[in-house]
Amino acid sequence: MNQFWRLLWKEVRELLRPRYLLPILLIPVMFVALGQGIGGIDDAANSQPAIGIINEDGGEYGDLVNASLSQNASVVYYADSGDPSTAIETVSEKGGDALIVIPDGFTEHIRDRTAGSVGVHSVVRSLSLSGITSSAQVDGQIRRAGTVLTLNMTGTTPAMLNPIRPDHTTYLEDKTLDASPGELSGTFGTQFIFIPVVIMFVIIFSGQMVINSMGGEKENKTLETLLTMPVRRSTIVAAKLIGSATIGLLGAGLYTVSIYYYQSSFAGSAAGSALSLGIAEYAIVGVSLFLSLIGVLAFALVLGIFAGDRQGAQMLLFPISILAIIPMMATMFADITKLSLPIRAVLLAIPFTHPAIAPKRLLLNDTTMVVGGIIYQAIFAVGMIWLAIRVFNSDRLVTGSSGRLGRWLSRLQS
Amino acid sequence: MSWSGLNVASNMSEQAVQVANLQKRYGDVQALAGASFSVEPGEIYGIVGPNGAGKTTTLRTLSTLLTVGGGDVSVFGANVEREPNEVRERIRYLPEDAGAYDNLTGRQYLEFVADFYSDSPDALVDRGIEIADLGDRIDSKTSEYSKGMTRKLLLASTIMTEPDLAILDEPTSGLDVENARAIREIVKEFPGTDRSVLLSSHNMLEVEYLCDRIGLLNEGRIVAEGAPAELVETYGVDNLEEAFLEAVA
Repeated sequence: MNQFWRLLWKEVRELLRPRYLLPILLIPVMFVALGQGIGGIDDAANSQPAIGIINEDGGEYGDLVNASLSQNASVVYYADSGDPSTAIETVSEKGGDALIVIPDGFTEHIRDRTAGSVGVHSVVRSLSLSGITSSAQVDGQIRRAGTVLTLNMTGTTPAMLNPIRPDHTTYLEDKTLDASPGELSGTFGTQFIFIPVVIMFVIIFSGQMVINSMGGEKENKTLETLLTMPVRRSTIVAAKLIGSATIGLLGAGLYTVSIYYYQSSFAGSAAGSALSLGIAEYAIVGVSLFLSLIGVLAFALVLGIFAGDRQGAQMLLFPISILAIIPMMATMFADITKLSLPIRAVLLAIPFTHPAIAPKRLLLNDTTMVVGGIIYQAIFAVGMIWLAIRVFNSDRLVTGSSGRLGRWLSRLQS
Repeated sequence: MSWSGLNVASNMSEQAVQVANLQKRYGDVQALAGASFSVEPGEIYGIVGPNGAGKTTTLRTLSTLLTVGGGDVSVFGANVEREPNEVRERIRYLPEDAGAYDNLTGRQYLEFVADFYSDSPDALVDRGIEIADLGDRIDSKTSEYSKGMTRKLLLASTIMTEPDLAILDEPTSGLDVENARAIREIVKEFPGTDRSVLLSSHNMLEVEYLCDRIGLLNEGRIVAEGAPAELVETYGVDNLEEAFLEAVA
């Protein structure tokens, strides 16, 4: 095994320790559990509710409501009359969630073209999201029965109940799209919010890993020994960067999958694909993200040099987190090209903004900004690697002192 | 480059360490103000001095950890500034306050170090285990080691590779009598005709026992140099401690 692989293995082995790995695993597990829970609620909401019916009306419209409910729900109890408070107990015992009472005179009201009321007695077994889902299901079945009544009374067609169908054309900068702004919003939600969130995770996790690596060296007091071994400093830097990137990408991948799973658990969240990126455009976003990753790792390595120990290293992650969160928020809530020049300049100066805005800009054929961003990120990444190697070859790695910056970073860790 | 691939047959006439007018400044503090000394092959050389005299700065500079502020520093003819990788191939450095990776066992730590110095590291590891003399605890995590055990492990990892120059900063600092004595014996037996030791220490008895020559460092300069007996004689005192006090007075 050559020196680079030996050092890389050491880094990966260190960063795969439970103290680093468990916090990374915990949040994806939480997202998957949430997705499971919400998926379960959706499944319950889409299933037939179990109900009881007391039809005291006996008229044609009462029968029509009864027929509609019986067709779309599982009826566990039926009676022509009775005390609702007693009947609901029977319904509950049979696994039902609600008792619907169609009162005497219901048909008369409909004939007189006034609204007829029905009693809805619900059983809530637990005060939770899943516990109150059944109520929404029953309301849905009552609305459906109402539609059946309207069609029957008026003799109209289902299309006439909603007779206007808007045919949307939306103009987005220089693009013309056959979709409503609402559908666009849905697509932005799934594609262009999801991507910045993933990018934020990649940046924070990778930064955290490399800072942890340096913090560990300081805490174990192994750095001086390592630096006097017959290994080039650039090899040590490369092993730390690539080892941290490997674990950082692993963590970000787990987050991505778990958030995607969580998002997909929301029914209807996937809007129409009025806007989408092609493989080449995703590849460009990938290049932008890769350069961000290299830049943040080298930046974090420079910061990690000032880490006193592992706890101090966590505090040094703060500046990176801020630089990762700001572009994500800006991309979510604003179009960067519409912001004022100073704010736009600040955002574009943050290297991690560029992969976050790249999908939107590529969608709008604004390749100039994307290519410019990639060039800027490449310069930033090369600059940071140069700085990391330079610092690794300087006294600062051993003495830790670096004027005002060193003092400020020390205060941050205290 | 593996240890076996090195040209270990050093020129015997070549000094192990040559330090000439070494200067180093940290901001307003002049840590070294023209220190000069040399270490011969096969020699144990001790740097002795009060706190803040510049001992650790000198050793770190020789170990390529710190840049040279001024003067010339070379190890076996390799300049520490211009040829740091060549220097690192000839030395091993044991810092005063060093540790081992706490997720590794003692054996794994020795294997990790040995891998850098040989393509067939098993023999080095076996030697390291023998020097460390930790018994079954060699397979315990280093996080479970006492300070003395850790120090023995680190010293073993330093000299198992048989470096041409072992640089030891306060090798027995903070250790109990038994562990300190064990480490002194290891250091004493280490040099051969072509291996040298450069160490710093506060312990005058230790320095007198271990070192062939001593350099008394005060305020960044070597103020006196010689064999322990010579220094005692030069200052006309009873022991090395008194010679040291006379020299730095």
